[in-house]
Amino acid sequence: MSARATPHATLRWVRADLRARPGQAVLTVGVVAGVVVALILAAMLLEGTANPWQGLFARTRGADVIIRFAHGTDLAKLAALPGVTAVGAPSVVVPATLEQGVAESPVELRAMLPAEPALSAPLVTAGSWLRAGDRTPTAVVEASFAAAAHLRVGEKIAVAGVDGNTATMTVAGLAYTTDQGFYPQATPGLIWVLPATLRQVEEVPSETEEVVGLRLGDPSANGIGQVVQEVYNAYHTTTERSPVEQVTTWQQVETSMASNDRLLGLLLALFGLIALIAALYAIANVTAARVLVQRRDIAMLGALGFTPGQVVWALLAEQTALGAAATAVGLAGAWAATRSAAFIGPPDGIPVALTPLPAAWMALAAAGTISTVAVATVVPAWRAGRVSLAAAVAASPPRGRLSRLARIGLLVRLPAPLVLGARDSFTRRLPAALTIVGVAIPMAMITIALTCWTTLDGFSGDPGRVDLAAALTVYPGSESIQAEQAQLARDPQIAADYPGAEFDTLLPGATATFTARAMGTSSRPYPFDVVQGAMFTSYNEAIAGQGLLDLLHYNVGDWVEVTVDGVPMIFHIVGRTLDPDNNGDVLDFGLDALALNAAAAEPQFYSLVLKPGVNPAAARRQLLRDSRDRLQVQQAANPADDLGVLRVAIVISVAVLAIIGLANLLTATAVGVGDHLHEADVLAAIGLTPRQVMATLVVNTTILTAVGAAVGTAAGLAVAPLLVNARGQASGLGWGIAAAPSAGLIAAMLAITLTIATAAALLVARRSARALDPLVPLRPPLTAPRPAP
Amino acid sequence: MTGAAPVPVMLRTRKLVKEYRAGGLCVEALRGVDIELAFGEFVAVMGPSGSGKSTLLHVLGGLVQATSGEIWLRGQRVDGLSKRDWAIQRRRHIGYVFQSANLLSTMTVADNVELPAILSGVSARQARQRREELLDDLGLTDKARVAPARLSGGEQQRVALARALAHHPSLLLADEPTGNLDSANTRDVLRLLRRTHAEGQAILLVTHDARVASNADRVINLYDGMVADDWSFG
Amino acid sequence: MALTLEARIVTHLRQPRVLEVTSIVRQHLLALLAKEPAHGYELKLALEQTFGAAYPSPNIGQIYVTLKRLEADGLVRSQDVAQTTRPNKRVYELTEDGRDAVAAWVDEPSDGPRVRDDFFTKLILAPRAGLADQMELINKQRHHYYRLMRGLNEVQESAGRHDTAARLLIEGNLLHLQADLDWLERCQEELV
Repeated sequence: MSARATPHATLRWVRADLRARPGQAVLTVGVVAGVVVALILAAMLLEGTANPWQGLFARTRGADVIIRFAHGTDLAKLAALPGVTAVGAPSVVVPATLEQGVAESPVELRAMLPAEPALSAPLVTAGSWLRAGDRTPTAVVEASFAAAAHLRVGEKIAVAGVDGNTATMTVAGLAYTTDQGFYPQATPGLIWVLPATLRQVEEVPSETEEVVGLRLGDPSANGIGQVVQEVYNAYHTTTERSPVEQVTTWQQVETSMASNDRLLGLLLALFGLIALIAALYAIANVTAARVLVQRRDIAMLGALGFTPGQVVWALLAEQTALGAAATAVGLAGAWAATRSAAFIGPPDGIPVALTPLPAAWMALAAAGTISTVAVATVVPAWRAGRVSLAAAVAASPPRGRLSRLARIGLLVRLPAPLVLGARDSFTRRLPAALTIVGVAIPMAMITIALTCWTTLDGFSGDPGRVDLAAALTVYPGSESIQAEQAQLARDPQIAADYPGAEFDTLLPGATATFTARAMGTSSRPYPFDVVQGAMFTSYNEAIAGQGLLDLLHYNVGDWVEVTVDGVPMIFHIVGRTLDPDNNGDVLDFGLDALALNAAAAEPQFYSLVLKPGVNPAAARRQLLRDSRDRLQVQQAANPADDLGVLRVAIVISVAVLAIIGLANLLTATAVGVGDHLHEADVLAAIGLTPRQVMATLVVNTTILTAVGAAVGTAAGLAVAPLLVNARGQASGLGWGIAAAPSAGLIAAMLAITLTIATAAALLVARRSARALDPLVPLRPPLTAPRPAP
Repeated sequence: MTGAAPVPVMLRTRKLVKEYRAGGLCVEALRGVDIELAFGEFVAVMGPSGSGKSTLLHVLGGLVQATSGEIWLRGQRVDGLSKRDWAIQRRRHIGYVFQSANLLSTMTVADNVELPAILSGVSARQARQRREELLDDLGLTDKARVAPARLSGGEQQRVALARALAHHPSLLLADEPTGNLDSANTRDVLRLLRRTHAEGQAILLVTHDARVASNADRVINLYDGMVADDWSFG
Repeated sequence: MALTLEARIVTHLRQPRVLEVTSIVRQHLLALLAKEPAHGYELKLALEQTFGAAYPSPNIGQIYVTLKRLEADGLVRSQDVAQTTRPNKRVYELTEDGRDAVAAWVDEPSDGPRVRDDFFTKLILAPRAGLADQMELINKQRHHYYRLMRGLNEVQESAGRHDTAARLLIEGNLLHLQADLDWLERCQEELV
């Protein structure tokens, strides 16, 4: 009988405790669930940012292996191969050329039906999928190729086959697929068309190929190797060439899609790790705070006959129940989020998917949350159990003394809540420190995030900082470039044009190549942004990118001898520039420096700086129209676009961190309330009304938040430029790209933080107002109602 | 304890000493206390404040460890027990009423009273019956579902007493159980105490109210950490 | 005849005593003489020193009158002692009866309307005479109060709910007893 007694009693207490303060229990569950959701979503997004393949693969039901067969192969054998669980519908493909004015791009046409296929269904992100029955046949262009080729939905394009047959199509939509990597890592660009359209372009079936996707039971490298071997065996012939033209595996596609920027991936991972630690800290904080608030009841349980071990078990039972509920809610929330939101797409960049995390990760998240809750329960519970029971139950001395400062403050008649609120911060040192840390860490990371954002803004808003002053580059078409230059000079959209020529040049020592660029002339150089040193002013001066300096082990001020287009030249490196395009492996000088080599002094292109406010894409179209397609106009790619994914990551991170910071604040306020409960009569004796006690709490929280925010922001501002510049340095852009957030932005951020903190503190203090009322325990005892005789 | 078979006593202490250390200062709360309590005996402990009354109860209940001396409870030596074993003693044999702050803040009155009974192994139904009986005796039946925070000090004290008796402990230790009560409630409490005493309950209670003490079998006077007087009504 | 409740209370509280003490001075003198014989003037000085702050000091005339009454009651005897240069002084000392009376007074707990004066005297003077220990005196008095309280409790138990007057009377007495017990504690703190 007594073996069941303890669990029974424990259950009673746990149930009663949860029922007694439902609001607090809900808050705890909500906070922890919020942190779990935020963390999981952040993990998904960061993962998706580093590599969108996973999300795309899941969304498009991608194929593990893509095989290209010669026309007419018997594909029925594929389904029978061991290890193959599904075979996609074969698509006929044919190479073609996309004609855009003067420019021609090689493409591949792939025939598909309007119905969505079971395997490898392209994910349409703009417009719609193929439609049958339109007068002008529809086509769907692969999105990364469309971005590179500036194709938009609704545009009419002309595609020519090998034999010269041309078909005109309307771009019905843009879509993504995991059958091949992104353009331009994977060429040619992919365009889906209806079978009829494909036949229009290529009438001869034997010139076509067929592409089939396979799903495997074991998609590991081993499994794929086996299946590929089987495929080759199945189609092996001794007499003719094997009909298997090409095999692509999902690993190849994934690698191709992965961000080139290893450091970006590292940075995101680092961010994620710190966010994880901050999240775990927040969860532990909430849990430990709950236990602290229950200190007295814990002591009473011991007095009643719960052994210290049983007390810990009781608390553990209660908290893990809450933790489990929170985890369940969190996982459900994350699952729901992945169902609803499709893609988060920055304007011109690769969309970021909510990558569904593997079940193992979800299980890990659940286990991590619950074990954090468990540890955060056991430690304070054990410590509470060691306190003398009589001391804990009978008398609870108020924590903290009235410091000399506080006494002076009270004497000088500062508002009591102000003084006492401040006193709390200085005398309850450990809770204050924990709160400050709990606010500082998220603030530091938010500041870093804002610095990244501002840096990106710097790129987009002031492209000159990264050698993007010229938005357009014009290459000669059919006429000589000089004739066209006259026309350009007249164009009202153009502010200035600079002649330029580029040469791939060998490094001295012939170990690598770099780009030697003649841009503008020494007297009128291209408006490079020189971050170190000065611009070149004479024909033997040049500026170099960080990458080149690293390769040569030179610094600004050194002399370098290079052979450009066969002509040896000596340059004095007078400055350093930021170059995003060529990894910093550039040497820039004036066109007149090539005067020795007359042929090379001809400009290969013109870089156009547009008048402020002119949209580059629109200007480009205008130029094409005006030149009647004689010019080839290219739009400079802004690295900020590539980094657009980073903006998404930043927003997510800020949201996660804000939740974490708020969780810590609410916890701190709740603990404060718990502490002041014991002081209520002491404070009443001093003469504080309950409202003033509440005000004390709010002031305390506000002060701690302010300190934490200041510390965190300062730390963030100190560290962020280092991080961002380091990344820039490593990627060849060079040191100096970091732009700190404006003072206004920082002020706004701090103001918002303080407002939220104060509001949250007010809310919590309000709800505890009755408990804080010091008069409650002093109410005179009432005479018990006498039962009727 | 050697020699002839002693009269069975519920509680015995020998040279019980309790010292508190606070910042270099040593405060002797108990300076060698020898008391005895027979089974079913009702003893009141009186004395001025600072005499060590509350400390004595804390030590006898195992809430605080004695500095030195022996404590025998039901023939078993308990002064050296671990916290865990003390908890089990309290669960089975001791009912404790504190001077204040007696109740679990998150449980209703009914739950508070029933909890020790359940902890000691009694069925839920029996616990409920016992609770109803005790609350009725104390005139608190209509407060059964109320949270402790909403009770007056006196009501809380009475609930604490009900809780301490819920599991039929061998020994009831009570620290000023009528401290906050008016005369009507005091009478109710005294009536309950007399009844349980008549049923064989051993009670050791600390009080400054002579009216309460005059209901006991014996009155022990503590002064300055030692027993100054130990007198039976006879 | 069955006593009414009020009568029972009255008889309970007003116990007949061995000695009806009408004057506190009388008690003081007997207690002082228990220590050693003394003449009137010495007794007056002792009274002033011991109790001067608490009681108005009687003049020497009142003391002589009281001593005469005590002699008449057989508790005290006097003797003229011849002095060489001064007139004879009268030295008083306790008789056997007087000693018995004082011993009985010390042994019995104080009671009656002047209970505190009586006990206080005892507490101060009896130890000087070597008749009793202060702690013992206090404990004895305490026990007496306990017994009284117990008795009152029992009376109160049997009081009907409608006997408001009776209940109030008992309540008043209980409160007084509590106060007396508290005073005993103070005495203990101060003197022991």
